Amino acid sequence: MAESASGTLVLERVNTPPAQTWNHLRANDITLTVPVVSRKGDVYFALPRLFESIECGMGGAVTDWIESQASDARYVEVRAGEKREEPIIAESDTGIMVRAGAEATIVVCAPTGGPAQGTTAALVRIIAERGAQVHVLEFVCGDTEQHLESVGIVAGEDARVDVRQFFLGAGTTAAGLAVALDGNRARLDLSCRYLARDNDVLDINHVIRQRGRNTRCDVHESGVLDGHARKALRATIDLVHGSSGSEGAELENVLVLSDDVTNKTMPVILCDEDDVAGNHGASIGSVAPEQIQYLQDRGLTLEEAEQLYVRALFDEALICAPTSETRKAVLARATEILGSETASDLVEGLDLAEKSGPFATTEV
Amino acid sequence: MHDTLLRVSGINAGTEDKPILHDIDLAVGAGETHVLMGPNGAGKSTLGRVIMGDPAYQVNSGTIEFGGEDITDEAADKRSLAGIFLSYQAPVEVPGVPLYSYLRTITQKRPELKMTARKFRARVGEIADQLDMSGSFLTRELNVGFSGGEKKKIEMLQLLLLRPKLAILDETDSGLDVDALSVVSRGIEAYRADCGGALLVITHNTRILERLSVDRTHVMVQGRLVAEGPASLIDDIDAHGFEQFERANASGGDRA
Amino acid sequence: MSERTEKRTQVADVDRSLYDFTYSEEGYERYDDGLTPDIVRAISEKKDEPEWMLAMRLAALDTYHAKEMAPNWGPSIAGLDMDHISTYVSPRTKQAKSWDDVPDDIKNTFERLGIPEAERESLAGVGAQYDSEIVYHNMREDVAKDGVVYTTIEDALHDPQWEPVVHEYFGTLIPPADHKFAALHYAVWSGGSFVYVPTGVKVEYPLQSYFRLNAEGAGQFEHTLIIVEEGADLHFIEGCSAPKYYEANLHAGAVELFVKDHARLRYSTIENWSKNMYNLNTKRARVGADAQMEWVSGSFGSHVSYLYPTTILQGDRSNCEFSGITFAGATQDLDTGCKVILNGADTTATVDTKSISKDGGCNTFRSSVIVGRRAANARCSVSCQSLMLDDISRSDTIPAMDVRNATASVGHEATIGRISDDTILYLMSRGCSEPEARTMVVGGFANPVSKELPLEYAVEMNNLIKLEMEGAIG
Repeated sequence: MAESASGTLVLERVNTPPAQTWNHLRANDITLTVPVVSRKGDVYFALPRLFESIECGMGGAVTDWIESQASDARYVEVRAGEKREEPIIAESDTGIMVRAGAEATIVVCAPTGGPAQGTTAALVRIIAERGAQVHVLEFVCGDTEQHLESVGIVAGEDARVDVRQFFLGAGTTAAGLAVALDGNRARLDLSCRYLARDNDVLDINHVIRQRGRNTRCDVHESGVLDGHARKALRATIDLVHGSSGSEGAELENVLVLSDDVTNKTMPVILCDEDDVAGNHGASIGSVAPEQIQYLQDRGLTLEEAEQLYVRALFDEALICAPTSETRKAVLARATEILGSETASDLVEGLDLAEKSGPFATTEV
Repeated sequence: MHDTLLRVSGINAGTEDKPILHDIDLAVGAGETHVLMGPNGAGKSTLGRVIMGDPAYQVNSGTIEFGGEDITDEAADKRSLAGIFLSYQAPVEVPGVPLYSYLRTITQKRPELKMTARKFRARVGEIADQLDMSGSFLTRELNVGFSGGEKKKIEMLQLLLLRPKLAILDETDSGLDVDALSVVSRGIEAYRADCGGALLVITHNTRILERLSVDRTHVMVQGRLVAEGPASLIDDIDAHGFEQFERANASGGDRA
Repeated sequence: MSERTEKRTQVADVDRSLYDFTYSEEGYERYDDGLTPDIVRAISEKKDEPEWMLAMRLAALDTYHAKEMAPNWGPSIAGLDMDHISTYVSPRTKQAKSWDDVPDDIKNTFERLGIPEAERESLAGVGAQYDSEIVYHNMREDVAKDGVVYTTIEDALHDPQWEPVVHEYFGTLIPPADHKFAALHYAVWSGGSFVYVPTGVKVEYPLQSYFRLNAEGAGQFEHTLIIVEEGADLHFIEGCSAPKYYEANLHAGAVELFVKDHARLRYSTIENWSKNMYNLNTKRARVGADAQMEWVSGSFGSHVSYLYPTTILQGDRSNCEFSGITFAGATQDLDTGCKVILNGADTTATVDTKSISKDGGCNTFRSSVIVGRRAANARCSVSCQSLMLDDISRSDTIPAMDVRNATASVGHEATIGRISDDTILYLMSRGCSEPEARTMVVGGFANPVSKELPLEYAVEMNNLIKLEMEGAIG
């Protein structure tokens, strides 16, 4: 997004979950200051009206702001039944329609221009029609001052959506994802891996609305916090009335490596239906003693053992990165944090994985 | 000939989307011991569940009479009070409910078994001894954290406590080690001796039957009762397996 | 064995009328509805309070008027009109030390609730509050000999030995500015208990206070202040009930608990306010080094509840255990849970809560766990299970965790679900009717909490569950 700001705007109550709690905890939302440029007189191509009704994770204020600042909106349609191989690269304001039975991979990659880049943002809205399969990959590995990423997905009957988020960047990252499982048997698998260190701020809002019957959602967030990082995760599973037979599960594992970290976790289940199952779990702490012991028995120091968890984040990000651009972004950030030696090790590992697949055996 | 205790006539039943049982006719006289055999997936357990009144299965036609009363539309609890007992293959865990409170509650429901708490405790203790169970079982939560064998013993404990007129034992012998198996066999013998109740033993192996005097043997294949005979039929199955019945059923041949 | 059993059976047979009866308040002293400085002054004057207390009340009244309820969370209290709530209603009777001296209608109330009987059998002392005033207070002599004090705050304020102690502690753990209804509490508080357990004294039997709100359109604002000195041990039980009215009633009590080093306090509550009650109660404990705080909390009544007992684990190696159960039926919106703040090193906290929602009732479990920077090796685990008994009820779980120490470990698990059909069938196949089977499973679900209660209260809780479960049929 443009950095020649002609002014700033304060966005309040960003990333607000559907149900909130004591305000003194300062866990309900985040306030962000963003630049605004006047686009008076520009012709702006908006998305089809259909997309307006989609709930996006960061909330209405962010949607309005991005729409007002984006130079253009982009609409992409994947035809019914089409299996699209080429990933769709989603940028500042993108609406994607995946028609019935189609399959598509959507990649959102935050810019990596350095702190001088100022504020960057992406707004992505996706409709997965009946039986569609949608794979969403989000990579925030840059070092811009501030990045906002707001995603909204609506899944129809039997649609399968999987989302993999990698929030590994520096500075402030605020990301919201809202997924509406509207159709019967719609399914979401969400994996979110993150790293926040130094003075990074990471603010995540996950909202899953289970409306259809027999829907499934499986959410797993995990990450590493170090330095003076401040992180907040709000994860809400909303079992709406009528979603009978649905099951929702969410689990977060946080590894805290420094006493100067602030970790806020708010895992919410809202339940308005009896024939459902909702589960939440969270574990926050250091590496378990028995795990540390095991790793130490294999020759690692405590610090090396802890770094192993950081490395694992990049390993996974790299394996999932589908384009050379995303790979470059992950690798640049890995080099910065783990050093070039480890980074090249990651690449070798990746090559190996590519040749044989991560679970390949020695047999051909 | 004894009076007919259970009469299943022309039962067709299954789940919402799949028929399982076809034209089942089965009569068990008071005090008789019947064996229901058949390969895995034949529908034996379903028949047990249908007799017990599991609403997961729909009865599409036919009737079930027990003690001369039509119970086809009765709920499971009514059937239980009438004297039917189903021993589950995998007894359900009920957290937070101690075994003792549970046993006490289900016993007091039956006018013929009502007794003072003191007597009840003594009775439970007696049965527990009979089954080699320690009294500490009683304070544990119902079926929670029990091994497979322990769960079956708890089923036997209930069988002896409730003294039903008909006990359906669904694969009670499966997955048990030799010791547990002998305890369960003892439980069944005690039930026959003390209560004189009828038995319908569902099984696909014959070991548990060695110590029982069997009146009738039924063979089920693909949801149909394809053969009925005296106790000697068991030896036949022991020697030749179920293939003969499966072949006959597949070729649409006559009932054996 | 048989005697105990018979007694249980007897108790089990009681019906709703146990709680749902009223006596006329004719001849009572009832202050005007609404909230003005004049009413606050009148309450203070009647109690002949020290100057500082009146000043505190008047300042709190200003705070009350200035503060707003948070707009973005919590059940609605729109049905609560403070202009129609009398903040002070008192029977014209003196506090008695013998039940014989308590007026008949009030004595009958507590007889029917079983308080004198419980006192005879298993308690070290009893206080009974009727509307705004304590009408009965008594403690066993041997306990008094050990130096244990169990009296009302009013009496403590008139005792030169205890007035400075009350002054030192009162309102320090829950400040009047804590939230709107804490401010209201401090403006109009009346009744409650002052308990002091001297160093090293272990009180063998529990002390119990029972709170009964008989008047319609009234508020109860009792204050409980308990100080358990170093190495001392106390179990305190609180019971609450009220008859059903159509006009809103309000309960805004405050409970301040000071648990000194190596001490232990268990605080048990069975709350069964009527379904027209707004229960905005505040409870807080500060726990010293190597000390232990245990909460057992059963919430069955009230129309709306905001209730989150808070534990501040200030001392190193201090420990908190919280067991709670909330049962929300028709017309109830109960927002309950707890807060734990782990400040000391090696502190531990275990939270285990259950909630049951039925007949359109709405349950919200709300919690916060805060681990401070100094809390090295702190351990906290929160487990929250919710049972939905039908598809018109609602159950929300809103926990928050804030962790600022690398060696701390915080775990949280929550599950929401219903009774499985298999379980019901299993029990039915053994002769239980479906309602009986459901009651049995719900009782089992609540068992981990009820087993923490003294026998009489466990029985009462099981009865409440039975009442709630069978209410829909009868």
